[in-house]
Amino acid sequence: MSARRTAVTGAGSFLGSRLLRRLSEKHGPDKVVAIDLAPPSRGAGVRHREVDLTRPGCDQQLLDVLRDEDVGAVFHAAFATSPRRDGGYAHELESLGTLSLFAAAAAAGVGHVVLRSFTALYGASGQNPGFLTEDRPLQPDPSLGWARDKLEAEQHAVSFARRYPDMKVTVLRFAPLFGPRVQTFYTSLFDRRVVPVMMGYDPLLQLLHPDDALAAAEAALERAPRGPVNVVPKAPIPLLTAVHLAGKIPAPIPHPLAYLAGDLLWAAGLGAAPGAFAHYARFGCVADGERAQRELGFVPRYSSREAVLAYVQYQKPRLAVSNAEARA
Amino acid sequence: MKTAAKVVPIRPGMEAATADPGPSASRPAASRIEGTLRALARLAGAGLDVDSAARLWSRLYFAWHSEEVDEFGYDPKFAESILPFFELLYTVWWRVEAAGIENVPGTGPALLVANHSGVLPWDGIMINLAVRHEHPERRNCRMLALDMFALLPFLAPLLAQSGAVRANPENAERLLRKGELVGVFPEGVKGVGKRFKDRYKLARFGRGGFIRIALRTGAPIVPCAVVGAEEIHPALGHMNWIGKPLGLPYVPVTPTFPLLGPLGLVPLPSKWSIDMGEPIPMDGYGEDAALDPMLVNRLSEQVRATIQGMIDRRLARRRSVWLG
Repeated sequence: MSARRTAVTGAGSFLGSRLLRRLSEKHGPDKVVAIDLAPPSRGAGVRHREVDLTRPGCDQQLLDVLRDEDVGAVFHAAFATSPRRDGGYAHELESLGTLSLFAAAAAAGVGHVVLRSFTALYGASGQNPGFLTEDRPLQPDPSLGWARDKLEAEQHAVSFARRYPDMKVTVLRFAPLFGPRVQTFYTSLFDRRVVPVMMGYDPLLQLLHPDDALAAAEAALERAPRGPVNVVPKAPIPLLTAVHLAGKIPAPIPHPLAYLAGDLLWAAGLGAAPGAFAHYARFGCVADGERAQRELGFVPRYSSREAVLAYVQYQKPRLAVSNAEARA
Repeated sequence: MKTAAKVVPIRPGMEAATADPGPSASRPAASRIEGTLRALARLAGAGLDVDSAARLWSRLYFAWHSEEVDEFGYDPKFAESILPFFELLYTVWWRVEAAGIENVPGTGPALLVANHSGVLPWDGIMINLAVRHEHPERRNCRMLALDMFALLPFLAPLLAQSGAVRANPENAERLLRKGELVGVFPEGVKGVGKRFKDRYKLARFGRGGFIRIALRTGAPIVPCAVVGAEEIHPALGHMNWIGKPLGLPYVPVTPTFPLLGPLGLVPLPSKWSIDMGEPIPMDGYGEDAALDPMLVNRLSEQVRATIQGMIDRRLARRRSVWLG
């Protein structure tokens, strides 16, 4: 088993590229295969195979790659963290790309596939309990294409896990990443001095430090548990506390206006995300991390607060110091 | 300076117009608007720039809030900041008399079950204070809040920060498994919104969900009777035609509301008592007891009758609504 290689799809992504480097340090660059359009910029020396997951017939190409390289485990990270305007491309990549990957992995006899997923798929709702366990049905807003494609990817994972019991399928539902070098549509909201919030709401957020995400990804590849596992930080943080920790000014917006303005700005090509994402600024979507502790042996090192502070420190080292003084 | 002033043309617009007519003709007007805006911005910025405003706001926020909360959003610093106001209500306004507090276990999980009344959830806050102040262990009773309060904009964050948790079985079970003291009002909306003529008559105890949680976790039930809260907002009738479009389950008509407007939201200063009864053990019923609907209903009815009895005994002793 140890002789076989580990492949990372979406090797150019934030999580993918870091995992690639970590794996090549651990097992040697020859034991790691980067699958992406562009060769990896980090983790030099790893094997690179160019596959376009959106191209029809890519499953055959993937099968050849997985067989040629003698791949024993795949970490599938080819997902867009931020919503894309070309929804058609995202659908091809995330839903159909995952289908092709699973088909090829099953045919190639890959023993273990890890799917990168998102706790946001549970959906933000007032009806949610204070913590969501893995058996909670995934109910994201149906109008969010961003979530729909990822939901379909998870459904493919379930159906392949059932049809190919020899292939272990792990689904890692990561809380939103927040920390040094993380650049997503929601971190970009924290790059301005004024952060829009929903008037009258202050949900709990889980913000995951990238180091913790990486540790969980590694543990998943090692332990190969079956089924979904939430990967969440030590403690959540109220949105307003995060805004003030970052030294920003919260701008309360009535939520009906936020949905409308969000959609209009998105349609006009200006906004960071469609209006339906405002759900996540109104209601909690806090996932439970017990299963990760049990099955991955993963205990997060950072709380959401520490993730926010790490991000601020990275973005503006001097501002972070003066904010800390202001709070002291 | 003087020599420079000499060469400045008196009418710069003329010169520009003759040299380059057309597009630049509108430039003076545009630059004037731009200049005004810049000046206004500078004026606004002179007093307080954005960064120092943000710092000031942040300092103000963290004077009232901690940087870390628990998994349900409980913020001990915020809860303590607002405590003096509630203590004033407890000691001066309602002169709460707490009895039988020793029946609340000092450690380990317990489910405190109380009657709900008073239109607004003041009784939950007072029960929390009674345990916090009169119990030797100073336990923090986590009150389960109805959706109508726990999901209400503006109120929801305040409730969560002060330690209340949205009432749902998963949350309650989680808290009990962590060994916390949890307070619940099984009557729900039917209790807190009941009319004055129905005061101190306990409504149906939901569908026995609280019994199932106690059976599953083995946490004892502590019956709790609150007397006095029914009189703080005597609901003579309801204006549900207003409530429905606003998404509120009820809008009461009281002697002071809506007659006195916002002043009508001030609760009347009745004299309160909070009685805790002997704990009812829930751990001797076997593993699948929570799945037995007959048992659940019987236990639920037993707890209801116990609390009704405690209320009736207290009412029989009460001479005056205002003086106790």
